[in-house]
Amino acid sequence: MSTARPARPVSCEELAGSHVLLTGATGFLGQATLERLLASYPDTHVSVLIRPRGERGAADRLSTLLRKNVFRPLSERLGADELVRVVRERVTVIEGDLGSVALPADLDVVIHGASTVSFDPPVDEAFRTNVSGVATLYEALAGSPHVVHVSTAYVAGTRKGVVAEAALDHDVDWQLELEMALAARADVERDSRRPEVLRRALAQADEQHAKAGPQSTAAAAERLRTKWVTRRLVDYGRTRARSLGWPDVYTLTKALGERVAEQRWAHTGRPLSVVRPAIVESALRHPYPGWIDGFKMADPLIIAYGRGVLREFPGLPDSVLDVIPVDLVINAILAAAARPPATGPAYLHVSSGASNPLTFQNMYVLCREYFDNHPMPDGDRGHVEPPTWRFPGSQQVELTLHAGERVTALAERVLLRLPPSKRSQDWLTSLGRQQQDLGQLREYADLYGVYTRAEVIYDDTRLRELHAALPAQRATEHGFDPTVIDWRAYLQDVHCPSITATVRRAGQRRGRSTAGHRGSPSQSTSISSLSLPERTDVAAVFDLEGTIVNSNVVESYLWARLATMPRSGWLRELADLARCAPRYLYAERRDRGELLRAFLRRYAGVRADALRALVTEVLGDVLLHRVMPEATRQIRRHRAAGHRTVLITGAVDLHVEPLSVLFDEVVASRMHVKDGVLTGFLEAPPLVDEARAAWLRQYAQGHGLHLDRSYAYADSYSDRPLLEAVGHPHAVNPDSQLFRHARRRRWVVHRWGEHTGGLLEVLLDVTRADVRIDVRPDHGTRGVPR
Amino acid sequence: MGRPGFVLDVDERTPPLLMHEGEGFRLERLPLGSRVIYPPESLPSIVDLEGAIRHALAHPHGSDPLPQLLRRGMRLTIVFDDLSLPLPPMRTPDVRQRVIEQVLELAAAAGVDDVELIAANSLHRRMTPAELKRTVGERVFRAFHPDHLRNHDAENPDDLTHLGTTPHGEDVEINRRAAESDLIVYVNITLTAMNGGSKSVSVGLASYASLRHHHNVHTLRHSRSFNDPPNSAMHHSYDRMADVIGGYVPVFTIETTLNNEPFPAALRFLTRREWEWNLTDQASYLAVKRSNDLATTRLRRRIWQATEAPYGVTGVHAGAPSQVHPHTLAAVHRQQLTEVQGQADVAIFGLPYICPYNVNSIMNPILVMSLGLGYFFNLYRGKPIVRQGGVAIFYHPVPHQFHPVHHPSYIDFYELLAETTDPVMLETKYEKQFATDPWYTHLYRTSYAYHGVHPFYMWYWGAHAMQHLDDVIFVGGNRSTTARLGFRAASSLADALELARDIVGRNPQISYLHAPPMVLADVR
Repeated sequence: MSTARPARPVSCEELAGSHVLLTGATGFLGQATLERLLASYPDTHVSVLIRPRGERGAADRLSTLLRKNVFRPLSERLGADELVRVVRERVTVIEGDLGSVALPADLDVVIHGASTVSFDPPVDEAFRTNVSGVATLYEALAGSPHVVHVSTAYVAGTRKGVVAEAALDHDVDWQLELEMALAARADVERDSRRPEVLRRALAQADEQHAKAGPQSTAAAAERLRTKWVTRRLVDYGRTRARSLGWPDVYTLTKALGERVAEQRWAHTGRPLSVVRPAIVESALRHPYPGWIDGFKMADPLIIAYGRGVLREFPGLPDSVLDVIPVDLVINAILAAAARPPATGPAYLHVSSGASNPLTFQNMYVLCREYFDNHPMPDGDRGHVEPPTWRFPGSQQVELTLHAGERVTALAERVLLRLPPSKRSQDWLTSLGRQQQDLGQLREYADLYGVYTRAEVIYDDTRLRELHAALPAQRATEHGFDPTVIDWRAYLQDVHCPSITATVRRAGQRRGRSTAGHRGSPSQSTSISSLSLPERTDVAAVFDLEGTIVNSNVVESYLWARLATMPRSGWLRELADLARCAPRYLYAERRDRGELLRAFLRRYAGVRADALRALVTEVLGDVLLHRVMPEATRQIRRHRAAGHRTVLITGAVDLHVEPLSVLFDEVVASRMHVKDGVLTGFLEAPPLVDEARAAWLRQYAQGHGLHLDRSYAYADSYSDRPLLEAVGHPHAVNPDSQLFRHARRRRWVVHRWGEHTGGLLEVLLDVTRADVRIDVRPDHGTRGVPR
Repeated sequence: MGRPGFVLDVDERTPPLLMHEGEGFRLERLPLGSRVIYPPESLPSIVDLEGAIRHALAHPHGSDPLPQLLRRGMRLTIVFDDLSLPLPPMRTPDVRQRVIEQVLELAAAAGVDDVELIAANSLHRRMTPAELKRTVGERVFRAFHPDHLRNHDAENPDDLTHLGTTPHGEDVEINRRAAESDLIVYVNITLTAMNGGSKSVSVGLASYASLRHHHNVHTLRHSRSFNDPPNSAMHHSYDRMADVIGGYVPVFTIETTLNNEPFPAALRFLTRREWEWNLTDQASYLAVKRSNDLATTRLRRRIWQATEAPYGVTGVHAGAPSQVHPHTLAAVHRQQLTEVQGQADVAIFGLPYICPYNVNSIMNPILVMSLGLGYFFNLYRGKPIVRQGGVAIFYHPVPHQFHPVHHPSYIDFYELLAETTDPVMLETKYEKQFATDPWYTHLYRTSYAYHGVHPFYMWYWGAHAMQHLDDVIFVGGNRSTTARLGFRAASSLADALELARDIVGRNPQISYLHAPPMVLADVR
């Protein structure tokens, strides 16, 4: 092909009549390039290589692209229909992956812009896109079109001083690195299955999720393992990059990508231009001032600063933050594309640092001025005050950050162990917010630290030469002279307003919507006024202890015991209970089933009929004392709406008898009875954590109920599987772990029990009750050891 | 004979006056010219109560003596007033125990085997075994409980019988055992003029189907007041029902009346006229007030609820209900009636810690409303204490507290008040729903809950007052609960009068009903 079409000097009348292939057309630079070509190069034909994603084919993705902001001015100028017609006429869509499709044979220019967008991807992903992708493309290309290889200025790596616009000076064997990087996943996957690693994941999952049951624990452990794999692969990449002199795997792979282009394309004398933009940010003029697609590198920093999240940042005040508006970059790319180098590859830094440097300190001052004049909204609490940075040095910031992380992690551990209360859960909420802020800061500090500490200048002599070579009439519209940027005007009037607009519109407070936080916990009155849809094919499932009654298995045992023994024996009974308390508490932490089993042993030797009588005479009322009226109201509302009401509890069936009229179905533990006497063992495993969800699924199937429209109410993290089994989960007086979970999932949280009787009242009632029921066949002495 | 009741005109020499406010009290200085309605002083009690009972049973009004009504093989049912009477509960032995013991002795002597004792608790909560024992005494309790001493169950279809309807079409449905007995002996305590007489059997043993004919907004708005039976539409209905019941089963009633000694000696200052307080009264006022203020809410409630009244019995009258009741009413009036000239623009009431429905329980906001606008407002004969369009000022903290076992339907009723406080609206829209709610019914029958419809009755109780008054203000009332009830709260009497000024002007005529002890204002 190259013989048929020798490298045609593409005329400076700018790509007229030529055929341009664009990769990465859906990316930030890609869409801007496509727009520019369509808008200002009427005689250029464009082919775009687009991968299908999921259900959506390449053509579909292109038409979505045409509706994006970047095409807005063009669409307004031409009309939407005309734009579509122009695109159909001038753009060829090539659907598929590099290497798997045939590329057109008559290409004049190839602009290779496809790249990973992330700085810290897993090592294999980075290499696959940035190295092996490049190799595949250049192997697939026929003829000798002019390749414009879009790289980044930061391929220079961690060095100081001036970097020239020339080939990189390194002797890294990209093929070996590629091979190793692609193999790393298998290694890491294998490593992640080592028992030591799995054991650690299991232990961690167990600590947090044991209460919710074995399946939840296993699922959490597997999630931890996958996370570990990703983290490990990221670490592989980052560490390898640093060991070779690059700050991260992104810059390393981009550097190796250049080497691939040189070796696989330029070595045969085919024309290659390597364009290395610095930090690309919003447009100065074209397609309109401030245009940007999503957040680019510096933007999360600027927004986080404006929201007051970044109290300090580990950057050097005098380091140059090499920002360049996107339209200047596109202009440079297209100017370069129109001028293939005569000999050897050409290199071009599209940056501002050399001719019009913006220091980090200056950037901070300008952004601060902007936010002082246009502060970010702080939900319903006015506006955020932008923090003052003192640039204390990265060491200091790192220390503060580390201390903050340690303190919040410790605080969370403590809070999760506190008994649930309104206050502890408020603390948990604000702690979660702080952790999120710290997490964000950590992420930025790790990712951008290198860029904000850079002491490097990218020489732009060739860029300025190229700009000077532009015909005068094109210099303004199609130029890329970085000295035209007035940083104050650019940052304060163009860039910051553009990137903060969506955040402001959403009315977000520090990046989170306020509704979810203010909405919880809900007031019971407002909830009760919500009407429930009337239907008979749904269930309303309630847990008992902590949800309907403010009581537990220990308490009901205690009342049963105290009501039947002379007061002289109380002290001994209470002391005995206190002696065993640590054991029960430990069991409760681990697994509710264990607690139930351990505790119900205390009933060994009790006469079943006597216990039943006791429940009818005394304990039923004790239970009703401890009932939360809001719960019974809610149960009855579900009933009135035709829902099937279900009680699932680990408590003993005898004890829940007084509440059974509220339910269509009661599932409780049954104790084993021998000769009319309880043996202290259960007849079947108690229905706790996942067993509840499993039972419910089966029950729903058997009764034709729709779980996705059903309701569940529970208080404990161990009920998470039950709650997750239905479409309307409600956390009632949740424990700290469930509260945290409910808050993250935006579940309804209730605070019930305002009028529930206190322990003292119940105690006085039990003692006042004039009942003498002897529950033990052997008259009070315990026959069975516990 | 104690001194009669009188109306005090507040002048410069009048000391601050005692004012009940829930589980507490205070001394309040009233504006000059205010009138204070004091009850007659407590009457002397009958010294030989056993003898008086014996005499009453042997010399009844409009009936043969009780021994002659008893015969071997008959079914005898002894019915007695429940926990709601008297207030506070009287020191044991309860007068009901004294009467029941004598009746049982006579029955035993006549060889009556089939005897049942039933508490006439109507839709009130069941009495606990301990409360039953306290009322009828250890001896009777042991002999009859639980099989032959029980609570009336207005929701047990097997234990109810429909006796027919009155000429006004009112259903009469009462306790089957009682209705099918050969004789009902009703043991009553008439604490206020509304109790006793026809009410005893026709209300105490009735079901919801029967009660709804007189416990409704219309009837209560036409009972002016319900403490004045001849002018009470509610009592007219009772009378018609009693006539129907009388056609099926003879009722022999024993009505007792009490004097005005509701508080034990340590709280004697609560019953004395303030300017007559001696050093002991003043010291005990200070001591009790200080320690009461310091106590926690729960402890305070426990202490007040443990208070027993040293009531003395002033009269025992037995015989046919219609013949007995006039004597009883005369005794009540002797103890409670005070003549008042003219109505006031503003009436002030200090609401105490107890009403008929929170014995051993909690006075919730709805009960506060019923105590104030129902019971206290209606403590009049002739005309209301306050004029039509006037203002009532109550002293009560109106705390947002409910008893979870005793008042479950009240908790839900309170939520309805956010929608409307209009009795008619509540009656038409929600009464039936609450009355037939299976959960409330279950709790009423098996636990110790008031019937589901009971909070509605409490609200109707105040229907007449709500229609009559232009404003209701609670001094010291919890703002949100008071507002939920549809009333206003003020932090002091001065503020309350300031709030009332738009309605009654700058210098309203004020009357303060100084109760308890009980006083019935005879407004001319």
